[in-house]
Amino acid sequence: MEELVISEKAKKQAESCRFCWMCRHLCPIGNATGQERNTARARALGVSMVVRGTYDLSTIADNVYECGVCGACTNNCVTGWDPKIFIQEVKAELALKGLLPEYIKTILETYASTGNAYGAKAPEGYKDTKGDVLFVLGQDAFYRSEASYKGAVALMDKIGASYALNEKANDTGATLNFLVGKTKETEDAAAACAKIMNEYKEVVVYDPVDMRFIAHEWKEWGIEVTAKVVSFNDYVKANMGKLKVAKGKNVYTPQDNYAYARDLDDTETVREILGQVGEVKDMLLNRKEANMAGSLLMDLYMHDVQMQVARDRWFNAAAMDCKVIVTENPAEYELLKATEPEGSRVMTLEEAILENAK
Amino acid sequence: MNEFLFTQVLSELEDAVGVENCSTKQIDKLTHSVDYFWLSRMWSDRGREMPQADFIVSPKDAKEVSKVLKIANYYKIPVTTWGGGGGTQGGAIPVCGGIVIDTKRMNQIYEINTDGMYIECGAGAIYKHIEWAANEKGYATMHYPSSLTCSTVGGFLAHRGIGVVSTKYGKIDDMVLQMEVVLPNGDIINTSSAPKHAAGPDLNEIFIGSEGTLGIITKAQIRIYAQPEVRRFRGFLFKDMHGAFQAARELLQIFKPSVMRLYDEAETASLIKKIVGVSRPGAFMNVAYEGKKELVDVEEKILLETFKKYGAEDLGSDYGEKWWKEKITFFYPGHMMDLPQMFGTMDTIAPYDKIEKIYWAMKKAIETEFPNIKFIAHFSHWYEWGAMVYDRFICDNPPQDPIEAMKLHNRVWNVGVRAAIANGGVVNDHHGVGIKLGRLMKEQYGPAMQVFEALKKTLDPNGIMNPFKLGL
Ligand code: SF4
Ligand code: SF4
Repeated sequence: MEELVISEKAKKQAESCRFCWMCRHLCPIGNATGQERNTARARALGVSMVVRGTYDLSTIADNVYECGVCGACTNNCVTGWDPKIFIQEVKAELALKGLLPEYIKTILETYASTGNAYGAKAPEGYKDTKGDVLFVLGQDAFYRSEASYKGAVALMDKIGASYALNEKANDTGATLNFLVGKTKETEDAAAACAKIMNEYKEVVVYDPVDMRFIAHEWKEWGIEVTAKVVSFNDYVKANMGKLKVAKGKNVYTPQDNYAYARDLDDTETVREILGQVGEVKDMLLNRKEANMAGSLLMDLYMHDVQMQVARDRWFNAAAMDCKVIVTENPAEYELLKATEPEGSRVMTLEEAILENAK
Repeated sequence: MNEFLFTQVLSELEDAVGVENCSTKQIDKLTHSVDYFWLSRMWSDRGREMPQADFIVSPKDAKEVSKVLKIANYYKIPVTTWGGGGGTQGGAIPVCGGIVIDTKRMNQIYEINTDGMYIECGAGAIYKHIEWAANEKGYATMHYPSSLTCSTVGGFLAHRGIGVVSTKYGKIDDMVLQMEVVLPNGDIINTSSAPKHAAGPDLNEIFIGSEGTLGIITKAQIRIYAQPEVRRFRGFLFKDMHGAFQAARELLQIFKPSVMRLYDEAETASLIKKIVGVSRPGAFMNVAYEGKKELVDVEEKILLETFKKYGAEDLGSDYGEKWWKEKITFFYPGHMMDLPQMFGTMDTIAPYDKIEKIYWAMKKAIETEFPNIKFIAHFSHWYEWGAMVYDRFICDNPPQDPIEAMKLHNRVWNVGVRAAIANGGVVNDHHGVGIKLGRLMKEQYGPAMQVFEALKKTLDPNGIMNPFKLGL
């Protein structure tokens, strides 16, 4: 029987959550599947039974990978427990003990052989470029979301920024962190990225999930960054003056990304930007209560569920009569695009800005 | 069940609900074996396995439920229904193994009918989700129990649940119009299109509170209400509970507040002090009244005059508002009783002429028989004719051995509930019976129990539906 070695902190979270369902209504995965195992409480119960030696660690392997680590539960928890902590530690343990599910092993093999989880190549015609500011798009935008990549680059051009692109810098380690938690490989990936970043004075990070990872885990793990790291939203907001935008009549609904909204405590920048180009209208579950619209990594092994997660978000938008959703995150853009209902539209933030720029 | 037959049943269930909605995985069996029942929590806390189902199925509608029940009846396999698993009486635990039907895929919101003032939804909908749906249209469900965010519509119906604004808006049985139910033989039926009729006994009443022993509720029309223009709170401190009872009874002959909650001296000095901040001796009572402003102004005047007559000290609205804000916080881990403590809620209901007597009798019985066990209570749902008592026992150091702990737990319940029954109370008010209190049903009903038994025998001749629950 493989035992589970997790920190006292993680154990404490699991022991508290194991009898509580108070955040059930907010879990995007649980709402999409209707499965009891997809609740913070069920994951905690599984962990606690493995800690007690009743079950083998492998019993809970699939279940931890069914968590989007979005923190909707954590945000809702009035007593401050955080299921993400034990979820991530269990992943690292599974990796260490060779108990990863086959589908995760396959993704890791793809990552090892191609440098990204999707086995994708750089966008057509792409070349590393030089400039003053390093622009980090992240792996999802770079390899899996052409619209995000093109839109982000077009907006930087429109701003007239002198920016450098470096394919390797797109790997902040966030991919490995999702797949195997804090392992040596994850730390190495993060350190390699930091090394590239430190060649610059300023770095703009496009994907909020990368930004969150840098702001939280890098800091916690002691990965040194000398460059000034700013989020894409902050960078765009600071440069709106250069864009010559006109406020149009379009109504935009932000799909608050969980990393911006909860981990980086920024729900207003996107609204301020959108407010300069059109009207802002919120959907159900907005700002800190945002529900994720899916993950491209999870889409690799639970496609149908990710589609349902995105459809649920369209349902939340329709409930408030919101027709145009604006995303800040490439994964959410792609999944909302794949489920776009007739008469509705998903746009990236840069698309929304560019359609109002002269 | 042998491997051959197991595989046969599994393939038939997969055919009924789809392969991806039928599980035999350990994680699913585990998570459907521990509900909010203290014994199941304690048992698993000690590293023991609770009884588990062999198959977990998640049907999407009544038709699929019907197919599952036909299979179960043919092979005579027990079926336990699981909504949110938030029940405290062990009602959702598959004590005999077999099939667990998880209802949460039946979470559709079919219609929000603002003319008929109801939402039609699947029984697996999380109640908070239908509250959101009502709110979006400017209405509310007015069903706000502490389990609002984790329990399902079907779960509340099957256990006759109640929320904090019940005094004005009623219990779940007051909030449902029509239900779709799958009978144990797989027939799909609808109860009458409206309640409160004279077309025979109300079929709703046969299935509400039946805890999955007579059929499975798959759809319901749940009432919605206009949002109140104002909702006001007022906290009061009574010298003792007797005055509070007299004041409340008098008030309820005039109008119905939405919230009425009276805490005994022990609970005022513990929970209320900790969470709401009232730190003086006495019995704290929180009252909320709501609706059109003009009416609420009048109600407030009547409330203050009536309570003053009985010596209540008016604490203003702050404590009440804090209570409202924190009403669910009471139930989060770390804020309320939890393991390693042993605890339970022995809620019962009775007319005003008996309810105080019941409280004192239960308190005396528990404290005399178990000197190390604390007894605290509040009275949270009120009617013109009576009230319910939500009395809790707390044992700080229960035996570590799970079998000894189980024996002590059951003895405490026997003593408490028997004291209630002996003084005119009932086995339970709104948590249900489950496996926890099944043995006491016959003591309560005597020969009347044969009515339930006859229903059970006729509707479920193979006895497959949630065996050993509700004393059936
Ligand atoms: S995160 Fe908080 S609300 Fe969610 S299960 Fe854990 S303790 Fe309960
Ligand atoms: S982190 Fe997100 S996906 Fe995971 S349990 Fe919490 S709410 Fe669900």
